[in-house]
Amino acid sequence: MTATSSRPSADDPRITLDQELGIFEPVPPYPPRTEREAEFYTLGDGQMFINMGPQHPSTHGVLRLVLKLEGEQVVDLDPVVGYLHRGVEKLCENADYHHTISQVDPLEYISALFNEWAPVMAYEKLLDVEVPRRAEYIRVLSAELNRIASHALFMGWMALDLGGLTPILWSFIERDEIVEMLGALTGQRMLFNYFRIGGVNGDLNHDFMSRLGDWMTRATDQIEANLTLLNTNEIFVRRMRGLGTIDGQTALQMCWTGPNLRATGLPFDIRRAHPFSVYQELDFDIPTRIEGDCLARYLLRLDEIKQSLRIIDQCLHRMPDGPIMAKLPRLIRPRPGRAYAAVESPRGQYAAYAISDGTDQPFRLRIHDPSFIHLQSVGQLVQGQLIADTMAVMASLDPVMGGVDK
Amino acid sequence: MTFVARTWNRLTIPGRVLLGLFLLGGLLTGALIALIIFSEPILELLGANLPLVRFVGAATVVLLMTIPTAFLIIYMEMKIIALMNLRLGPDRVGPFGSLLSVVHGLKVLMKEDFTPTGADAPVFTLAPVVTYLASVMTLLVIPFAPGLFGQDMNIALLYFFAISGLGVVGLLMGGWSSFNKYSLLGGLRSAAQVISYEVPLVLSVVGLLILAGTMSLNQLVLNQAGWFTDWYIWQQPLGFLIFFIAATAEANRTPFDLTEADSEIVAGFATEYSGMRFGFFFFAEYVNVFIVSALTVTLFFGGWNAPFPFPEIALAFDPGSLGIALLILVAVVPVVGTLILAMPFYLLRSSMPFWQALVIGFVLFNIVAVAAVLGWAFVSLEWVAGLLWFMLKTYTFVFIFVWMRGTLPRVRIDQLMGFAWKWLLPASLLNLFVTAGAVVLVRELGA
Amino acid sequence: MSFIPGLGLAKGMALTLRRFFEPKATIRYPEVRADVSPKFRGRLQLLYDEWGALKCETCFQCAQACPIECIDMGGIDTKGRYHVHWGPPEQYAERREESALRRSGRTVPDRAYEHFEQLDMSPVEAILDDHDYDPKRMLSILEAVQAVYGYLPVAALKQISFRSGAYYALIYGTASYYGHLRLDPPRDAGQARVAASARPDESVYLASLGAALDGRGAAAGAVH
Repeated sequence: MTATSSRPSADDPRITLDQELGIFEPVPPYPPRTEREAEFYTLGDGQMFINMGPQHPSTHGVLRLVLKLEGEQVVDLDPVVGYLHRGVEKLCENADYHHTISQVDPLEYISALFNEWAPVMAYEKLLDVEVPRRAEYIRVLSAELNRIASHALFMGWMALDLGGLTPILWSFIERDEIVEMLGALTGQRMLFNYFRIGGVNGDLNHDFMSRLGDWMTRATDQIEANLTLLNTNEIFVRRMRGLGTIDGQTALQMCWTGPNLRATGLPFDIRRAHPFSVYQELDFDIPTRIEGDCLARYLLRLDEIKQSLRIIDQCLHRMPDGPIMAKLPRLIRPRPGRAYAAVESPRGQYAAYAISDGTDQPFRLRIHDPSFIHLQSVGQLVQGQLIADTMAVMASLDPVMGGVDK
Repeated sequence: MTFVARTWNRLTIPGRVLLGLFLLGGLLTGALIALIIFSEPILELLGANLPLVRFVGAATVVLLMTIPTAFLIIYMEMKIIALMNLRLGPDRVGPFGSLLSVVHGLKVLMKEDFTPTGADAPVFTLAPVVTYLASVMTLLVIPFAPGLFGQDMNIALLYFFAISGLGVVGLLMGGWSSFNKYSLLGGLRSAAQVISYEVPLVLSVVGLLILAGTMSLNQLVLNQAGWFTDWYIWQQPLGFLIFFIAATAEANRTPFDLTEADSEIVAGFATEYSGMRFGFFFFAEYVNVFIVSALTVTLFFGGWNAPFPFPEIALAFDPGSLGIALLILVAVVPVVGTLILAMPFYLLRSSMPFWQALVIGFVLFNIVAVAAVLGWAFVSLEWVAGLLWFMLKTYTFVFIFVWMRGTLPRVRIDQLMGFAWKWLLPASLLNLFVTAGAVVLVRELGA
Repeated sequence: MSFIPGLGLAKGMALTLRRFFEPKATIRYPEVRADVSPKFRGRLQLLYDEWGALKCETCFQCAQACPIECIDMGGIDTKGRYHVHWGPPEQYAERREESALRRSGRTVPDRAYEHFEQLDMSPVEAILDDHDYDPKRMLSILEAVQAVYGYLPVAALKQISFRSGAYYALIYGTASYYGHLRLDPPRDAGQARVAASARPDESVYLASLGAALDGRGAAAGAVH
């Protein structure tokens, strides 16, 4: 095709529709590599592909979903990930142990403290240091705050994907209060870079404590008031109930963890199952629901917020005195070995596997991310539903693309 | 002049053409008005064709009226939803940001008018015009005030539904011609939705028509004169509910805004549109909101009638009877009024110079005078009062539409269709039969 | 879900209407600034040591290293001249055009700071050509430039940096290190002055500054 002065259109005889316009189909240019790919990219009668993302208004970040549609119905779905890949694991191999903390921060950027927690715990296991109890309590306190912020945002996004304009802004007000609070504690609002190997970066300060106390008095009421907008809303409940249902066994086979698994009735929570930090000393419940649909996943997160508030309250009452950092040399060279540590992030089991070769840089740091695990079952959940449900199911799984693509 | 030149240079070519057309239209209208006023034979000719002239004039006025109406509703939507979201919303351009929608309009004019590769260009260009005209044409039959309507047809309601159903053709054209699957889905969704909801919409009004015995909107409004208990809402509550829900779907408003569901199909039929073509779609949507509210008010809430019999204060004041005293009055009243209103400021604020007090007094006098004239018009001119009541009621409904948009999530397409056919249609039929039966019973028993 | 259909919708509508009248959370940004906690780590500021001296050595390394070019350095150097400058120009469009160049470590033709004298750059070009645009021969380049102009104008330094590809900071460092290189035009009339006649007399400027300061002081005194 040479450049022409007039605008090209479908009626232009110089353009053959199949060749020139065929590029709009999301079919990959290479021959299919797997059977699944060959099957997926063969269109049946009356079917069409539609490319949802990576620049779609509601695919949480830069996820691309190739939908195979029959009218409005989704026949099959292929999530394409990797648009946000930054090579964080490789970057960590070339960074000092301390520097890796800031490298892993932007993975699941909605809940950055958990991103730091797992590698830091793995390094502590490698080094065999004991973290001061005050530091552990501060870690639990700040991480639970971060969990509330993350869940609050989840509820807003969920409503936005169903077409509600208002809840997302109320959630952001809620989240902003918490994030300001954490900013007063850690020095940053989003990517905190707060946990250190053997402790935390700074002690509790007056600014943080006054904000926290102010917020704690009205947190429960405020969050519940926000939620009355949707919890009993007939349109919302009718859309969410029975959508994207999965049973506990299948969820376990798909390696689900976190709130999404607990919504199917399995009370698996790393804070109880493999207690880390000081969670053993704290009194809290593991909320579960048995339905396993989108509504259960939505409501379960509200229950988790309430439990998080309980944990924060206990942390404040039991906060011990003492140092906030273990005594460690500035340059860390752990003995050669491997260590694994997992935390219960707002999305599920977030784990780090660190290998040390005795130098001051980790030989390998592997991050296990729950969003990626949950994302692989979207196709299964959405099959046979409508386009609108794709977004609802996606939102209910709460993936963060920063973590998926690493 | 530099401002004009700069603005002109910033406009894109289509923007310049449009602006030129607007100016040309304005000049032609002005010339027409001048001709009408100043030439006797033309007046006679027009007198012979008065209905035609009236129709053309009404059409022009209605077409021009849509622009400020759309601007106002867009501003209302931005501001009200913002306030419900605990935001401030527009607050920079104009007082309380009220000119923001005007600025948006200008922006839309200046943007590039883009036609995507593979689009069916003529259909793509025509689609917004069809939608816009369909929504504007329905305004012709709505009685805004006593004597203030485009055309009093005896089948006005039928005309209304017929024309408003044409709007979906534009949406379908836009969805089909954009060469975009999202647009196609949006267009098909809108076709399915509007056609399904047309049925309960019309059926819900039939009960009211049986009661009223007329399809002329003007006659319907006249039937509802008197106290607010005479409005049809009290006799047709179920009909009103069905009508309101179906009208929400007709106007593509939340919770039935599936045609442009941004979280599902990007922007629906408008995905590939930009510039003023998008502007036409956008305008049509908000004009539709106004029309739907206006029709709801006309049918169920007494149109331009006041909610109570307005006391008729006859200010039959003929200025001519004063004779020479009128001149003195005109000369004296402003001066005296200014002085009287300036006096308290001058006396109470010792630091204020006399001329400042005079200026304040003059401004105050003008405000008082304008208020007095407006009050006189409201009391003694029937159509001013009618227009005010009508607009008040209509914009209340516009507020309710915006309020719903700020609150409710969107329904799913299968739920939407199921609701129309399984619930609204039987309910409207029930309403129709009950009303018909009641009318027959009353007639038999009464006779 | 309640037994009465529509009750949930009504509750939601009531809630939004209540929020309609509640105080708003928006911060009107340019007029009102959000509170920043004392611990906030994202603030860019120059630190002072315990004797009250500025820790910054104006080495420009921060501005050169900043990947998004948000660090802008400008100020008066030890000799009282405003010609220490490194950082993005004001306009984003200009910045985008030149960012590749800037990231390569070279100077960018800087329109925002063209109030320095307009120099005839042909001698600089000739000198650079003689020296093969070699940054390793910077000292002799600078000496040759000083021989032409009588001193080292900032514009010439920027041009040298731009042409030879050497960091401006390096050239400035070289120029300010050697005693025989001078960055301001010589005062005595015996030496060459190329464009110095266009510069306003410094004493006049100082006098007006002093007057302005006196005026402000007097006004402040009147208030108290």
